[in-house]
Amino acid sequence: MISKVWRERLAYTAMSLFVVWHTAAIIIAPAPDNSVIAVAARPVFQPYLSLFRLDNPWDFFAPSVETGAELRYVLDDARGTRHTFVPTQELSWYLPAYFWYRSWYYGIMDEIDTYAEGAAAFFCRKHAGLRPVAITFVEYQQSDFTPDDQLAGKHPTDSEFVTAKVLKRVPCPNS
Amino acid sequence: MSKLVTLTRAGRNARTALGRAWSDLWFQNLPTTPLELARIGVGMAALFHYALATPYLFELWGEAGWMPSARMLETYDPWKQSIFFYFTAPWQLLAFHLLFLFCCAALMVGWRTSWVKWIVLIGHISYNYRNPSLTYGVDKILACLLFILCLAPVGRAMSLDRVRAVRMAKLKDLTATLPPYRSPWAGACTRLLQIQMAVLFFYSAVSKLRGDDWWSGDAVWIVFTTNEHYNRFALDLLASQYWIVNLATYGTILIELAYTFLIWQRRTRPYLLAGAIFLHLMFAVLMGLFYFSFAMTMGHMSFVRPEWLTRLGLAWKRKFGDMEMIYDGRCGFCVRSMAWFLAYDGLGQIRVRDFRTNPSPLVSDAQMEKALYLVLPDGRALPGFEAYRYVVLRVPGLWWQIPFFYMPVLSRLIGHPIYNWVAANRGRLSSMLRLGLRARY
Repeated sequence: MISKVWRERLAYTAMSLFVVWHTAAIIIAPAPDNSVIAVAARPVFQPYLSLFRLDNPWDFFAPSVETGAELRYVLDDARGTRHTFVPTQELSWYLPAYFWYRSWYYGIMDEIDTYAEGAAAFFCRKHAGLRPVAITFVEYQQSDFTPDDQLAGKHPTDSEFVTAKVLKRVPCPNS
Repeated sequence: MSKLVTLTRAGRNARTALGRAWSDLWFQNLPTTPLELARIGVGMAALFHYALATPYLFELWGEAGWMPSARMLETYDPWKQSIFFYFTAPWQLLAFHLLFLFCCAALMVGWRTSWVKWIVLIGHISYNYRNPSLTYGVDKILACLLFILCLAPVGRAMSLDRVRAVRMAKLKDLTATLPPYRSPWAGACTRLLQIQMAVLFFYSAVSKLRGDDWWSGDAVWIVFTTNEHYNRFALDLLASQYWIVNLATYGTILIELAYTFLIWQRRTRPYLLAGAIFLHLMFAVLMGLFYFSFAMTMGHMSFVRPEWLTRLGLAWKRKFGDMEMIYDGRCGFCVRSMAWFLAYDGLGQIRVRDFRTNPSPLVSDAQMEKALYLVLPDGRALPGFEAYRYVVLRVPGLWWQIPFFYMPVLSRLIGHPIYNWVAANRGRLSSMLRLGLRARY
């Protein structure tokens, strides 16, 4: 039977060890990969950080603010007609759905090989009425937009500030 | 020999001083109130966020949605677990989602907090890992805050758990009070939450300093030109007054950096806290990042000093003065109702008087036979429904009842007859209650 004093000491030691461990983990998590200490310590903390979703770089809008990009997709139907869709235009800025969809669209643009198939299947199902054959994903990348452009009444998504890049064409699953 | 003794004593003193400093840093005997503010906010944010996801549940996380689990498991990491990986039918996802929403609501109001908080954490991580393409900054912050709240002894103040505990004490004696909960572990968890916020701001500032847009002072301009955060009003203003862009860009870095180092000092903390909240208010209003800003602000709540809240409570109490509720101590139903009601009075604004044992000089016994009375500091006495109506608006723990008591016309139209019926039948209700209790035990 452990005495009350020893139980308290044990609890105090355990609490102290935990706060040190957790503090070290949350400091190591966002540390740059070229730091010798971070590289050495990361394998120790990684399972803990991953399991509890604590592994975050905390680099909001950094190191540089990316100029905007927009996902569009072109649907080819059975008759050979092409339909262009701008999915972000269907979303309300005030609802969380906007952020989920937008995150997903970024995911598609950033990792097209990972997400293209699932996304194509989803959009093919969504527009089943058009009898889709394939979906082509296109990224519209914004370029620099200056204060003078704004004062001249232009918009950052005007065609002169945007370049289109075809990402991938994916056949619809049942076509 | 004496040198050895001196050295030993110095070593012992140093060890004691270090031990004390360590305890002061981590294990101060603190109340949970700052953590409770974070709990309420995090619960509310998660409830609102995921409740709005319900119509898209199967699209976002379902098998037939954006990310089939087979594709997800291609890059399987055993440490990135999601409970959804083990679901085999859509109803399981729906059932868990409903349970999760219920637990978010329970976390917000502090009902059975000790276990619902774990379901909220497991659920939040599961949603994140089931479809990582959906997650953004706020999901990461929420996970970090939730994890610490799970470890913390939350639910001991500003919660239904606290109300239940106070009610139990009041059922034995209506004048009983429970001392506020304090513990060294509450102090440690508050410190962990504070360190989390400081680390977040530090890395956020440092990573910005590595970028050219931030160095040159143009970052804020670029943010508002992206289609995602396009704001015509802001861009028109910034284009004509470009110095605001520089000011906002450098100001953001300055607040983030200063926060990391100056938030710890007693004198500078209020300014840094105000600066950080102002920053998030701007993110919310100008960039539409409401959910993100709200979650961050809840994290900053860990820096709210318990004594600020105590002072605020005292000021509130002073403003409205002491109120005295006079009740019928012979009526079991009335005593039980009073115990419930008073359990919400966390600031102790209401005193109670049993007119049977301690008659009031202001309200006659004949009046008291008909209804409960509330005596205000200016000597006015409000009967029955009007007494409750007055109290509900002035006792913060009862604010949730405001919609019932202050619905124009309807509240009084329905409230008065209901109260009068209950008051007239309180003897019968007490007997029923006693019978009910006898049947139970």
